[in-house]
Amino acid sequence: MNRYFYIDSEGKQKGTFTPEELKSENIKKETLVWTQGMSEWTRAADIPELSLLFEESRDFYSPQPVTPPAVRPGYGSAPSPQQPMPKSWLIESILATILPFLLCSCIFSLLGIIGIVNASKVESLYLRGDYAGSLEASNQAEKWTKIAMWIGIAWVILWIVAVILIIAFGVSMSGITDVFSGSGYEI
Amino acid sequence: MCSVDRDTKFNPVIGAVVSLLLAAAVFLLYRFDPEEAAVFPRCLFLVVTGYECPGCGTQRALHHLFHLELSSAFSENGLILFLLPYLLLGGYLAFFNGNRRFPGLARLLFGKRAAIIVVSLILLYWVARNL
Repeated sequence: MNRYFYIDSEGKQKGTFTPEELKSENIKKETLVWTQGMSEWTRAADIPELSLLFEESRDFYSPQPVTPPAVRPGYGSAPSPQQPMPKSWLIESILATILPFLLCSCIFSLLGIIGIVNASKVESLYLRGDYAGSLEASNQAEKWTKIAMWIGIAWVILWIVAVILIIAFGVSMSGITDVFSGSGYEI
Repeated sequence: MCSVDRDTKFNPVIGAVVSLLLAAAVFLLYRFDPEEAAVFPRCLFLVVTGYECPGCGTQRALHHLFHLELSSAFSENGLILFLLPYLLLGGYLAFFNGNRRFPGLARLLFGKRAAIIVVSLILLYWVARNL
Protein backbone atom coordinates (compact mmCIF):
# COMPACT_ATOMS: atom_id res chain seq x y z
CA MET A 1 0.00 0.00 0.00
CA ASN A 2 1.33 3.44 -0.91
CA ARG A 3 2.19 5.96 1.75
CA TYR A 4 1.37 9.55 0.87
CA PHE A 5 2.60 13.00 1.74
CA TYR A 6 0.16 15.86 1.51
CA ILE A 7 0.29 19.65 1.70
CA ASP A 8 -1.96 21.08 4.39
CA SER A 9 -3.92 24.32 4.32
CA GLU A 10 -0.87 26.20 5.59
CA GLY A 11 1.31 24.89 2.80
CA LYS A 12 3.24 22.59 5.13
CA GLN A 13 4.23 19.13 3.96
CA LYS A 14 2.92 16.30 6.14
CA GLY A 15 3.47 12.58 5.89
CA THR A 16 3.57 9.78 5.45
CA PHE A 17 0.07 8.36 5.66
CA THR A 18 -1.75 5.35 4.28
CA PRO A 19 -4.99 6.15 2.48
CA GLU A 20 -6.92 5.23 5.67
CA GLU A 21 -4.82 7.63 7.70
CA LEU A 22 -5.27 10.35 5.09
CA LYS A 23 -8.99 10.01 5.62
CA SER A 24 -8.65 10.87 9.30
CA GLU A 25 -6.41 13.80 8.34
CA ASN A 26 -9.51 15.31 6.68
CA ILE A 27 -7.88 15.91 3.34
CA LYS A 28 -10.02 17.47 0.62
CA LYS A 29 -10.38 16.55 -3.04
CA GLU A 30 -8.19 19.53 -3.93
CA THR A 31 -5.46 18.62 -1.43
CA LEU A 32 -2.15 18.03 -3.19
CA VAL A 33 -0.66 14.62 -2.40
CA TRP A 34 2.43 12.76 -3.48
CA THR A 35 3.79 9.26 -3.15
CA GLN A 36 6.80 7.36 -4.46
CA GLY A 37 6.73 6.93 -8.21
CA MET A 38 4.75 10.10 -8.92
CA SER A 39 6.46 12.85 -10.87
CA GLU A 40 4.64 15.71 -9.19
CA TRP A 41 2.06 16.69 -6.57
CA THR A 42 -1.44 15.74 -7.65
CA ARG A 43 -4.99 16.48 -6.48
CA ALA A 44 -6.14 13.71 -4.17
CA ALA A 45 -9.32 13.15 -6.18
CA ASP A 46 -7.27 12.40 -9.30
CA ILE A 47 -5.56 9.40 -7.71
CA PRO A 48 -7.65 6.24 -8.08
CA GLU A 49 -6.55 4.80 -4.72
CA LEU A 50 -7.56 8.01 -2.93
CA SER A 51 -10.65 8.94 -4.92
CA LEU A 52 -12.36 6.01 -3.15
CA LEU A 53 -12.02 7.94 0.10
CA PHE A 54 -14.23 10.69 -1.21
CA GLU A 55 -16.93 8.30 -2.35
CA GLU A 56 -17.23 6.49 0.94
CA SER A 57 -18.56 9.41 2.90
CA ARG A 58 -20.36 12.56 1.87
CA ASP A 59 -18.45 14.48 4.54
CA PHE A 60 -15.48 14.72 2.27
CA TYR A 61 -17.47 16.54 -0.38
CA SER A 62 -18.37 19.37 1.95
CA PRO A 63 -15.73 22.02 2.57
CA GLN A 64 -13.68 21.52 5.72
CA PRO A 65 -15.18 23.39 8.67
CA VAL A 66 -13.18 26.33 9.95
CA THR A 67 -11.09 25.11 12.86
CA PRO A 68 -10.75 27.27 15.97
CA PRO A 69 -7.47 29.18 16.04
CA ALA A 70 -6.19 27.26 19.08
CA VAL A 71 -6.25 23.99 17.18
CA ARG A 72 -3.65 23.14 14.56
CA PRO A 73 -5.23 23.34 11.15
CA GLY A 74 -5.52 20.04 9.41
CA TYR A 75 -5.97 18.12 12.63
CA GLY A 76 -9.37 17.27 14.02
CA SER A 77 -9.40 17.92 17.76
CA ALA A 78 -12.41 15.79 18.58
CA PRO A 79 -11.47 12.30 19.78
CA SER A 80 -12.80 9.66 17.47
CA PRO A 81 -12.47 5.91 17.72
CA GLN A 82 -11.32 5.63 14.09
CA GLN A 83 -8.32 7.88 14.54
CA PRO A 84 -5.15 5.81 14.79
CA MET A 85 -2.83 6.41 17.70
CA PRO A 86 -0.22 9.05 16.88
CA LYS A 87 3.29 7.70 16.48
CA SER A 88 4.73 7.37 19.98
CA TRP A 89 8.42 7.94 19.12
CA LEU A 90 9.29 5.76 22.11
CA ILE A 91 11.94 3.63 20.36
CA GLU A 92 13.54 6.66 18.73
CA SER A 93 13.65 8.63 21.96
CA ILE A 94 15.21 5.70 23.85
CA LEU A 95 17.88 5.50 21.15
CA ALA A 96 18.41 9.26 21.40
CA THR A 97 18.93 8.87 25.15
CA ILE A 98 21.52 6.08 24.89
CA LEU A 99 23.47 7.27 21.83
CA PRO A 100 25.06 10.35 23.47
CA PHE A 101 26.79 8.04 25.98
CA LEU A 102 28.60 6.40 23.09
CA LEU A 103 29.60 9.78 21.77
CA CYS A 104 30.95 11.28 25.00
CA SER A 105 28.23 13.89 25.01
CA CYS A 106 26.15 12.62 27.90
CA ILE A 107 24.61 16.07 28.48
CA PHE A 108 22.55 15.63 25.32
CA SER A 109 20.91 12.54 26.82
CA LEU A 110 18.64 15.00 28.62
CA LEU A 111 16.99 15.79 25.27
CA GLY A 112 16.27 12.09 24.79
CA ILE A 113 14.82 11.88 28.30
CA ILE A 114 12.44 14.76 27.49
CA GLY A 115 11.54 12.75 24.39
CA ILE A 116 10.86 9.61 26.44
CA VAL A 117 8.67 11.51 28.92
CA ASN A 118 6.54 12.86 26.07
CA ALA A 119 6.57 9.60 24.14
CA SER A 120 5.28 7.63 27.13
CA LYS A 121 2.33 10.04 27.41
CA VAL A 122 1.18 9.40 23.84
CA GLU A 123 -0.44 6.02 24.45
CA SER A 124 -1.98 6.75 27.85
CA LEU A 125 -3.56 9.99 26.61
CA TYR A 126 -4.80 8.24 23.48
CA LEU A 127 -6.37 5.39 25.45
CA ARG A 128 -7.99 7.95 27.74
CA GLY A 129 -9.65 9.44 24.65
CA ASP A 130 -7.64 12.64 24.71
CA TYR A 131 -6.64 12.57 21.05
CA ALA A 132 -5.49 16.20 20.89
CA GLY A 133 -3.29 15.74 23.97
CA SER A 134 -1.90 12.52 22.56
CA LEU A 135 -1.07 14.24 19.28
CA GLU A 136 0.57 17.12 21.12
CA ALA A 137 2.71 14.69 23.16
CA SER A 138 3.63 12.88 19.94
CA ASN A 139 4.70 16.13 18.30
CA GLN A 140 6.76 17.11 21.35
CA ALA A 141 8.41 13.69 21.45
CA GLU A 142 9.20 13.95 17.74
CA LYS A 143 10.65 17.44 18.16
CA TRP A 144 13.00 16.56 21.03
CA THR A 145 14.03 13.23 19.53
CA LYS A 146 14.88 14.85 16.21
CA ILE A 147 16.83 17.67 17.89
CA ALA A 148 18.80 15.03 19.82
CA MET A 149 19.45 12.95 16.69
CA TRP A 150 20.65 15.92 14.65
CA ILE A 151 22.93 17.04 17.46
CA GLY A 152 24.26 13.49 17.55
CA ILE A 153 25.03 13.46 13.83
CA ALA A 154 26.62 16.93 13.99
CA TRP A 155 28.67 15.80 17.00
CA VAL A 156 30.07 12.75 15.21
CA ILE A 157 30.99 14.85 12.15
CA LEU A 158 32.74 17.37 14.42
CA TRP A 159 34.51 14.54 16.24
CA ILE A 160 35.75 12.83 13.08
CA VAL A 161 36.93 16.13 11.58
CA ALA A 162 38.76 16.90 14.84
CA VAL A 163 40.41 13.45 14.91
CA ILE A 164 41.51 13.75 11.29
CA LEU A 165 42.89 17.27 11.91
CA ILE A 166 44.81 16.15 14.98
CA ILE A 167 46.22 13.11 13.21
CA ALA A 168 47.25 15.29 10.25
CA PHE A 169 48.82 17.75 12.68
CA GLY A 170 50.61 14.96 14.51
CA VAL A 171 51.90 13.52 11.25
CA SER A 172 53.24 16.85 10.11
CA MET A 173 54.89 17.42 13.48
CA SER A 174 56.56 14.12 14.14
CA GLY A 175 56.26 11.86 11.13
CA ILE A 176 53.76 9.07 10.60
CA THR A 177 55.59 6.42 12.66
CA ASP A 178 55.04 8.15 16.01
CA VAL A 179 51.30 8.48 15.49
CA PHE A 180 50.84 4.87 14.57
CA SER A 181 53.33 3.41 17.03
CA GLY A 182 51.48 5.32 19.75
CA SER A 183 48.45 3.21 19.07
CA GLY A 184 50.43 0.00 19.38
CA TYR A 185 49.06 -1.36 16.13
CA GLU A 186 51.34 -1.19 13.15
CA ILE A 187 49.91 -0.95 9.67
CA MET B 1 -4.43 -2.40 21.63
CA CYS B 2 -4.78 -0.03 18.72
CA SER B 3 -1.28 0.96 17.84
CA VAL B 4 -0.42 1.89 14.30
CA ASP B 5 2.91 3.63 14.68
CA ARG B 6 3.87 5.12 11.39
CA ASP B 7 7.37 4.12 10.34
CA THR B 8 10.01 6.75 10.45
CA LYS B 9 10.50 7.42 6.77
CA PHE B 10 13.85 5.97 5.81
CA ASN B 11 15.71 8.72 4.03
CA PRO B 12 18.47 7.27 1.79
CA VAL B 13 20.62 10.42 2.03
CA ILE B 14 20.58 10.46 5.83
CA GLY B 15 21.07 6.69 5.78
CA ALA B 16 24.17 7.01 3.59
CA VAL B 17 25.63 9.83 5.73
CA VAL B 18 25.01 7.91 8.95
CA SER B 19 26.54 4.68 7.63
CA LEU B 20 29.57 6.61 6.34
CA LEU B 21 30.01 8.26 9.75
CA LEU B 22 29.60 4.90 11.47
CA ALA B 23 32.22 3.30 9.24
CA ALA B 24 34.66 6.16 9.86
CA ALA B 25 34.07 6.01 13.62
CA VAL B 26 34.54 2.23 13.71
CA PHE B 27 37.74 2.51 11.69
CA LEU B 28 39.20 5.24 13.93
CA LEU B 29 38.25 3.37 17.10
CA TYR B 30 39.72 0.14 15.75
CA ARG B 31 42.91 1.72 14.46
CA PHE B 32 43.79 3.93 17.41
CA ASP B 33 43.80 3.20 21.11
CA PRO B 34 41.79 6.00 22.77
CA GLU B 35 43.99 5.59 25.85
CA GLU B 36 47.22 6.46 24.06
CA ALA B 37 46.34 8.24 20.85
CA ALA B 38 44.96 11.32 22.66
CA VAL B 39 42.98 12.35 19.61
CA PHE B 40 39.62 11.31 20.99
CA PRO B 41 37.21 13.67 22.76
CA ARG B 42 37.19 13.85 26.54
CA CYS B 43 33.98 13.62 28.52
CA LEU B 44 32.92 17.16 29.44
CA PHE B 45 31.12 15.90 32.52
CA LEU B 46 34.30 14.18 33.77
CA VAL B 47 36.42 17.26 33.08
CA VAL B 48 34.02 19.62 34.84
CA THR B 49 32.88 17.54 37.84
CA GLY B 50 35.62 14.94 38.24
CA TYR B 51 33.00 12.19 38.27
CA GLU B 52 32.60 9.66 35.47
CA CYS B 53 29.39 9.82 33.44
CA PRO B 54 27.58 6.57 32.50
CA GLY B 55 29.24 6.68 29.09
CA CYS B 56 32.82 7.21 30.20
CA GLY B 57 35.08 4.47 28.89
CA THR B 58 32.87 3.78 25.88
CA GLN B 59 35.60 4.53 23.36
CA ARG B 60 38.12 2.34 25.20
CA ALA B 61 35.50 -0.39 25.58
CA LEU B 62 34.67 -0.28 21.86
CA HIS B 63 38.35 -0.31 20.97
CA HIS B 64 38.83 -3.47 23.04
CA LEU B 65 35.61 -4.95 21.69
CA PHE B 66 36.72 -4.46 18.08
CA HIS B 67 39.91 -6.33 18.99
CA LEU B 68 37.77 -9.06 20.59
CA GLU B 69 39.15 -8.40 24.08
CA LEU B 70 35.86 -8.84 25.86
CA SER B 71 37.02 -8.81 29.46
CA SER B 72 38.99 -5.59 29.17
CA ALA B 73 36.09 -4.06 27.24
CA PHE B 74 33.81 -5.03 30.12
CA SER B 75 36.06 -3.45 32.72
CA GLU B 76 36.20 -0.14 30.82
CA ASN B 77 32.43 0.20 30.56
CA GLY B 78 30.24 -2.82 31.22
CA LEU B 79 27.02 -0.96 30.59
CA ILE B 80 27.75 -0.18 26.97
CA LEU B 81 28.31 -3.86 26.13
CA PHE B 82 24.67 -4.45 26.99
CA LEU B 83 23.39 -1.22 25.48
CA LEU B 84 25.16 -1.74 22.14
CA PRO B 85 23.09 -4.77 21.02
CA TYR B 86 20.03 -3.05 22.47
CA LEU B 87 20.80 0.03 20.34
CA LEU B 88 21.28 -2.06 17.20
CA LEU B 89 17.99 -3.85 17.81
CA GLY B 90 16.26 -0.50 18.41
CA GLY B 91 17.70 0.89 15.19
CA TYR B 92 16.40 -2.12 13.30
CA LEU B 93 12.95 -1.86 14.88
CA ALA B 94 12.64 1.89 14.32
CA PHE B 95 14.23 2.42 10.92
CA PHE B 96 14.03 -0.91 9.08
CA ASN B 97 10.38 -1.82 9.55
CA GLY B 98 11.28 -4.13 12.44
CA ASN B 99 8.40 -2.91 14.59
CA ARG B 100 5.96 -4.04 11.91
CA ARG B 101 7.44 -7.50 11.72
CA PHE B 102 7.92 -7.88 15.49
CA PRO B 103 5.40 -5.57 17.17
CA GLY B 104 5.46 -7.69 20.34
CA LEU B 105 9.23 -7.41 20.64
CA ALA B 106 9.08 -3.64 20.12
CA ARG B 107 6.42 -3.36 22.81
CA LEU B 108 8.31 -5.57 25.26
CA LEU B 109 11.80 -4.12 24.86
CA PHE B 110 10.95 -0.55 23.88
CA GLY B 111 7.69 0.05 25.70
CA LYS B 112 7.08 2.50 28.51
CA ARG B 113 8.18 0.03 31.20
CA ALA B 114 11.35 -0.85 29.28
CA ALA B 115 12.18 2.85 28.92
CA ILE B 116 11.88 3.34 32.69
CA ILE B 117 14.05 0.27 33.35
CA VAL B 118 16.74 1.36 30.88
CA VAL B 119 16.90 4.90 32.27
CA SER B 120 17.04 3.59 35.87
CA LEU B 121 19.80 1.12 34.90
CA ILE B 122 21.84 3.96 33.44
CA LEU B 123 21.32 6.08 36.58
CA LEU B 124 22.22 3.13 38.85
CA TYR B 125 25.37 2.40 36.86
CA TRP B 126 26.24 6.10 37.07
CA VAL B 127 25.99 6.16 40.85
CA ALA B 128 27.63 2.76 41.36
CA ARG B 129 30.73 3.49 39.28
CA ASN B 130 31.44 6.69 41.19
CA LEU B 131 31.13 5.19 44.68
